[in-house]
Amino acid sequence: MTLTVDRPPAPPSPAPAPRRPRLRKPTGRGLLNFVVICILLYLVLGPLLMLFVTAFEDTKNGVFITPPYPWTGANLSQVFGHSQTYSVLGTTLIFSGGALVFAFALSLTFAWLVERTDLPLRNSVFVLLVAPQGIPGVIMGVSWSLLLNPTNGMINLGLRHVTGDTSHGPLNVYSLPWMIIVEGMKIVPLTFLLVSASLRGINASLEEAARASGASFGTVVRRVTLPLLKPALVGALIYEFVAVVETVDIPLLLGVRGHVKVLSTQIYFASHPAVGLPNYGLSATYGGFLLLLAVVPIVVYNRIVRSGSHATVTGKTFRPKEHKLGRWKPVAVVVTWSYICVSFFVPFLVLLWTSMQPYVSEINAAAFHRLTFKAYGKTMSSGLFTTALKNTVLVAFFSAAMAMILAILVSWIIVRSRSRFSWMADVLAFMPHAMPGVVIGLAVLMIYLIMPGPIYGTFWIIVIAMGTQYISLGTRLTTSGIAQIQRSLEEAAEASGASHWQVWRRVLLPLLRPVFLNGFLLVLLASVQNLTLPIMLYVPGNQVLSSLIYSRWSSGDVSGTAVTSVVVTAITVVAAIVLRRASGARTVA
Amino acid sequence: MSGIKVEQLFHTYDDHGRTVVAVDHIDFEVAENEFFTLLGPSGCGKTSTLRCLAGLETPSDGLIELDDVAVFSPRKVVPTRRRDIGMVFQDYAVWPHMSVFDNVAFPLKIAKKRMSSSAIKDAVHDALELVNMTEYVHRRATQLSGGQQQRLSLARALVRQPKVLLLDEPLSNLDAKLREQMRKELRMLQRRIKVTTVFVTHDQVEALSMSNRIAVMRNGVIIQVGGPRDIYLAPNSEFVASFIGATTFFRGEVTSVDALNHRVTLRTPVGELVCAADEIPAVGENIAAAVRPECIKIAQEPDPAMNNIDGQVDIGLFVGEAVDYHVVVGDEIVRVKGDPRSRFRRRDKVFLEIDPHDCVLIRPDAPVPGAGDPSEATLAELVEQP
Repeated sequence: MTLTVDRPPAPPSPAPAPRRPRLRKPTGRGLLNFVVICILLYLVLGPLLMLFVTAFEDTKNGVFITPPYPWTGANLSQVFGHSQTYSVLGTTLIFSGGALVFAFALSLTFAWLVERTDLPLRNSVFVLLVAPQGIPGVIMGVSWSLLLNPTNGMINLGLRHVTGDTSHGPLNVYSLPWMIIVEGMKIVPLTFLLVSASLRGINASLEEAARASGASFGTVVRRVTLPLLKPALVGALIYEFVAVVETVDIPLLLGVRGHVKVLSTQIYFASHPAVGLPNYGLSATYGGFLLLLAVVPIVVYNRIVRSGSHATVTGKTFRPKEHKLGRWKPVAVVVTWSYICVSFFVPFLVLLWTSMQPYVSEINAAAFHRLTFKAYGKTMSSGLFTTALKNTVLVAFFSAAMAMILAILVSWIIVRSRSRFSWMADVLAFMPHAMPGVVIGLAVLMIYLIMPGPIYGTFWIIVIAMGTQYISLGTRLTTSGIAQIQRSLEEAAEASGASHWQVWRRVLLPLLRPVFLNGFLLVLLASVQNLTLPIMLYVPGNQVLSSLIYSRWSSGDVSGTAVTSVVVTAITVVAAIVLRRASGARTVA
Repeated sequence: MSGIKVEQLFHTYDDHGRTVVAVDHIDFEVAENEFFTLLGPSGCGKTSTLRCLAGLETPSDGLIELDDVAVFSPRKVVPTRRRDIGMVFQDYAVWPHMSVFDNVAFPLKIAKKRMSSSAIKDAVHDALELVNMTEYVHRRATQLSGGQQQRLSLARALVRQPKVLLLDEPLSNLDAKLREQMRKELRMLQRRIKVTTVFVTHDQVEALSMSNRIAVMRNGVIIQVGGPRDIYLAPNSEFVASFIGATTFFRGEVTSVDALNHRVTLRTPVGELVCAADEIPAVGENIAAAVRPECIKIAQEPDPAMNNIDGQVDIGLFVGEAVDYHVVVGDEIVRVKGDPRSRFRRRDKVFLEIDPHDCVLIRPDAPVPGAGDPSEATLAELVEQP
């Protein structure tokens, strides 16, 4: 023995004995991971697979998922060999590009005015710019058509007094430019919310440093503010791009009468023709095309974000010195409040007005005497309305529950479980974000057409589609929610003798309640407003309010449409207020 | 009867596809009611070891017995909830949605064996009394200060009277004053209630002052196990000597040995050094003498009974209880803890007096276990396994 006490000689190696294979019982956690990932695979990859199989099938006699497959290239050649496809694609790009330019120009201006200048009543402006988020797109379409349709649109009726024309126009909402404007106004609230949040996140001292270096106002905006905003702007742009190309509400309500065709409506009409049999193969091919259009920018964006070549804006920020508008102040005030009136008050008032008129007319003294609630009684007592209301509530509730329960489990797998498969959960839960709703709707429709069982033709088919679509939204919230809960809170429960279920019930779920509630309400609100999935999956009996509005509108029942729209707006506004309260409470707690 | 037994514990984890050995075949035993400390720098595997004991990590291989019950072997894993443990976490892990009472009552409420609510109430009261927290019983957990949360978390760990108490750096988030106070309280409490305790820390003062025995860890292996005095006064390696206290190493060659008087003479770059040694090295061997700053006396005149090394004061920092002198000796700087009344100035020529008994001989060339090669070897071993 030497002076030093060495550690005992090399560990007696157990090497000679062949290592016994470790056969441990599957743990509760492993089972949970497995089940959740299987559910995700079914919900997310199932539709994609269905879409691709169908695109290559001759679906005259239906869709087949067992041999013999009626393989054909006819759908592809019909889509890609037809010049109409390219004009549709062109229209889709002009429509979405135009709406994005319109919405981002307005949102950037308003965000700058609200966040950086001495615009009066900034808080009210903020709330009123975001408020139209509560009005579903289908209702926006209805009210703008009431205002601007060439036959008896209220604004047109008023303008005709000026122009002297008596029969038609002068404005026509059933045209591509007006579709762009209405769609643009539809997406302004969310765009404004995203842009102003990131503008607030930029440390104003960066701008002030530029100004102190002698840069003019224009130079500061061009060289400092916009480059700093770029990552957030690109992110918002891509998000809204996907939202616009997949939208069916404005294209259906305004585009169809004006013969303006976009990809999303092509998918709808191929699978839901007014006359004849649905051509699912053709619809699926269009769907694949649209999916590609949505996926490519998202993949590119994720590449950019991951490469880290963009600057992240972090750190404590303070409210900067307000930019004095000076003599431009009155201009800014007038522009801002005019926009608020046009985008929020006017559309809502025209609905209210129409819902209380026995027939469509312009606003005059005689019309005031005709105000009546008769249409409310008639519409709301109809069996169709009560069914739709009941279905809406059930669909919204179950979709929100499904999306959020899955989201919490998925997030737990992503954040906590050190499973080898957690990346799969991550990818699968993100994919619905890039899948246009109309594509999900089509694929889910085809799956349950084939699958025996009671799903097709009930509201459950809508629940499954919506639950799938909103998993990615829910997962975003719950992943950050779970990441904020220290792991040791779970471990302390385990060390206190708690089983997995007890850890969930007593520690995780109570701590996640605010996040869950917030996400639940968000999905609830989104699913009440969603028109795409209900009309893609419509069969008599699973009517919800949004699809009811569309069918009333298509059948020419104007006052019924208006009444239903007012009711839906009331519901969504209440839900939005509750949501605000709930998320407000979260920031306090 | 043994409190804890760990044999050949081997634990790896996956870091972005790379297998990292956290704990490399370590063995130790903890006697019943002993206060046993795992001490080491961050990343040495001490926390991983503790988490293996708790069952929060599943080791790759080895054996763990808690209170004579095997809780881990390659064939059997007892889940955390069935281990008879109490655990205190570094961040306390106090549940923010529960009151103080509910936090402490949790382990009793979820137990398989139902307890009456009055029995739970009594047990919670007793546990809170142990940590002097009874008056806070109805507070919300979020209304407590850091020190109070720490006590609460200790009460929660003790409430079901576990056989083993596991403490994962419980004091490191407290401020200095509170830490000192909790050190004493924790140790007294542990003596009073008699519970086998494993304590993880990177703070040498905590380890020395609280433990019955200390295991110093580095790179997943235990370098030295012993009582606080052994570890401090007779470190077995440069690593242990330098990790615990600021130690100066005088490296040199053995020129002569006096086996009768247990004296060894070293020739070092700064002069001859006589060291006391229990075990005598061979003449010609390269060896280092480790000397602690408080064992060196700084003086103007040499003392013939001692080793005398001449140097020049680089700087003297008055810290209150002492003067922290940095003295240039040859090419090196030696730290000396000088008397607070001493007043040597920069560039003063001084003698450093060292008692031969304070020179601890350490073989510098002995490969430090766990450093570099050994862990790579086990990595290779791991890869080869089918």
